[in-house]
Amino acid sequence: MIDVHDLPTPKVEAWKYTNLSRALGNLAQVKSDAPDERVIHIKRGQNGGRIEDILWIGVDGAHQQPRLRIILEEGAQATVVERHTGQGAYWKNMSTEIVLGASARLDHVRVQEDSIEAVQTNMVHITMEKDAYLNSFSLNLGGKMTRHDIHAVLNGSNIECALNGVNVLKDKQHGDTTIIVEHAAPHCISNQFYRTILDDAARGVFQGKVHVHREAQKTDGYQLANTILLSPKAEMDTKPELEIYADDVKCSHGTTTGALDDEPLFYLRSRGLSAAQARMLLMQAFVDEPIEKIADEALRMEMMEKAELWLKEQLT
Amino acid sequence: MIDIKDLHASIETDQGAKEIIKGLSLSIPDGEVHAIMGPNGAGKSTLSYVLAGRDDYNVTSGQVLLDGLDLLDMEPEERAAAGLFLAFQYPVEIPGVNMSTFLKTSINAIRKQRGQEELDALGMLKLIKRKCKALGISEDMMKRGVNVGFSGGEKKRNEVLQMAMLEPKFCVLDETDSGLDIDALKVVADGVNALRSPDRSFLVITHYQRLLDYIKPDVVHVLAGGKIVKTGGPELALELEEKGYAEFLESAA
Repeated sequence: MIDVHDLPTPKVEAWKYTNLSRALGNLAQVKSDAPDERVIHIKRGQNGGRIEDILWIGVDGAHQQPRLRIILEEGAQATVVERHTGQGAYWKNMSTEIVLGASARLDHVRVQEDSIEAVQTNMVHITMEKDAYLNSFSLNLGGKMTRHDIHAVLNGSNIECALNGVNVLKDKQHGDTTIIVEHAAPHCISNQFYRTILDDAARGVFQGKVHVHREAQKTDGYQLANTILLSPKAEMDTKPELEIYADDVKCSHGTTTGALDDEPLFYLRSRGLSAAQARMLLMQAFVDEPIEKIADEALRMEMMEKAELWLKEQLT
Repeated sequence: MIDIKDLHASIETDQGAKEIIKGLSLSIPDGEVHAIMGPNGAGKSTLSYVLAGRDDYNVTSGQVLLDGLDLLDMEPEERAAAGLFLAFQYPVEIPGVNMSTFLKTSINAIRKQRGQEELDALGMLKLIKRKCKALGISEDMMKRGVNVGFSGGEKKRNEVLQMAMLEPKFCVLDETDSGLDIDALKVVADGVNALRSPDRSFLVITHYQRLLDYIKPDVVHVLAGGKIVKTGGPELALELEEKGYAEFLESAA
């Protein structure tokens, strides 16, 4: 049994948008299942190939605790695909640990299609050593309330870390993406690129922070979060932050939230596209940009198709 | 035949509705090229947007008939299908939508509305290739986002490319010369001239006479204070170039 009082409350700054105990309601009283752990461990210099059989299915009334550990030793590489589905009301309280040794390369794609009644919390801890490379992408479609909390620590020089995602939410869904990237060593590149579309009374959150330590000179840190609101009741909270203690860095953050732009819409309509067709094309282009960062072509196509399907449902 | 009858249009401002077009009448028979010249603020761009059906403009009275059909009752896409084409002064950049997807979608949307069969992938490819070649547009441009990172000349050539593909009956060129150097201007003008035909008419909106050296008009109108204040032959453009618009600014005020 877990006690609701032990959960972080919105009074804690980092949790101010995510009222977990309220979202959980009675589920917090449900007995926790034993942790269901999956470990991917690729030995030094090995290529783990494409690992695609990770699927966590939520079960009505359950409190599940999936754990995913991805460990890539020095020079190892892999592509890991993680999928989430489920039925009914459940709490999937997940923890993810990603450990990348020197020169390790990981492509990570996560597809979150949990049930519309589900709560999913996913705490992700990433540590990377020098010359390591991470290209991660997350598609968030499901869940009543989801929180994707990523904490990445860049421990060595010349690391490249990309955390990208697309969040598309409707009805009363609440989707929170919270990211902290710690640049603890010089000459690293980090990128956060999130695109969100909100319909109905959905609420999105993006809190992204790049923390550049004093020794992390020559850091390149970027952060971009764009949101399109399709309904006057949809709400987006964005909190981009840079915290910089080094004096020779390139960092930028940008965030936009608004309705679809009138000018491209009119331009397309003047070329014969119906209003619906023009909107569809523009929104597809909007979500496709982060999806295009996925290296694997089949996965890229799959993500585009999923996003397109969602858009078609919203527009018709 | 395009027939604009006593057109009045306004925009919403913080101080309420402001009338920009104040009783404009104009007829262009098929096959003719008419130019509209006028000082800044005369309503030139407003006219082009009103014709194409942009939301922000309110038509308060008047008619715009294209072969007898009133364009003002139609959505922008229906006007395009009916045969209106606006070459934008500032073509819009659309990141993420690549040129070839855009052209395919546009051509088939128009064909569908006109009751023509949609083109298949191969037919489309051939058409795009042929038209691009004629305008000196590289295939590399087809892979880029619509107008994204295009030079001024490339943007205007892209407008002419679309014009060539969509086979309009009536083309409005809104300050097509703006942002072009002389070489780019010639390429664009040649592209437009190649499209001149007995069943197609043009309205060339420009501030300067220069463009009209390359796209020779049959008739020149002066637009000032929201209406046509003078109409003449090509010589009128030369006269304006020499004397400026001062005379019309006074009479309009």
